[in-house]
Amino acid sequence: MNDATYQKFLHRWEQVTDLPPQTVGPFTPYYKRAVKRLKVMPWPVLVGVGLVSAIVLYVALGSAVTLVASLLQRGF
Amino acid sequence: MDLTGNLLAGGVAFVQNLTGIMIRPYETYRRLVARRSLWELVYLGVLLLGYFTLASLVKTSAFRPFLLTRQFVVLAAAAATTYLGVVGILWAVGRKLGGKGTFTGIMVGWGYTLVPTLVWFFITSLLYVVLPPPRSTSTPGVIFSIVYLIFSVTLFWWKLILAYLTLRFGLRLDLQRIILVALVAVPIVSIYSVAMYWLGIFRVPFL
Repeated sequence: MNDATYQKFLHRWEQVTDLPPQTVGPFTPYYKRAVKRLKVMPWPVLVGVGLVSAIVLYVALGSAVTLVASLLQRGF
Repeated sequence: MDLTGNLLAGGVAFVQNLTGIMIRPYETYRRLVARRSLWELVYLGVLLLGYFTLASLVKTSAFRPFLLTRQFVVLAAAAATTYLGVVGILWAVGRKLGGKGTFTGIMVGWGYTLVPTLVWFFITSLLYVVLPPPRSTSTPGVIFSIVYLIFSVTLFWWKLILAYLTLRFGLRLDLQRIILVALVAVPIVSIYSVAMYWLGIFRVPFL
């Protein structure tokens, strides 16, 4: 094992021993799959969640969704 | 290192971390909490003060120095109180649940969670001037409302991710304990936010 690889291994070892990986019992594989998308470049997931939320609100409220937007716009 | 050196190093780290929390939040938070350099918060503070200046101009109908200054001081003081209050609550509750970490680590971690807050408030203030509410129920009004809601929800979830990472790396808590901290902290912060609303300082809490 060359020096750079060993240093990378050592660095990762220290990270894992310092803070053990998160487990969620039997749901750990699903948790890991979901979180993998959020660790690096989470924006597609975040915008997707935003889009779904906005569509759900529009389906629930119809054009009254403009009221929610108006309230938020005054929120600052 | 002297003051200039610390500020320069903090500035470089701040810019790197700003990009990092957008592209690689997990790794960036691990690094910035481990480094826990309070000098980086100076630059965040400057950005916040810049926003409060803009917000004071937008919120105050008359261009009177006394009113503008008063508004600026109220906003800055309220935001600082909120920041310290939230950091204190997270620290206290987290430590009670067995968290291990440093107070400065939480300060830096929670400081960076103010970036999505600042972006939302800044864009909302600009939109208040460019496209003041209320929104109409016409097609452009509904489309804008949906786009604005997508924007708001996206930033909200980004904020939640950064808050989670603050507790994960700042206090070395696992998911279950982080949820417990949230269950304790959220009601307290909600009561505080209602108080801010009644006082007319922040309608949406500057968390």
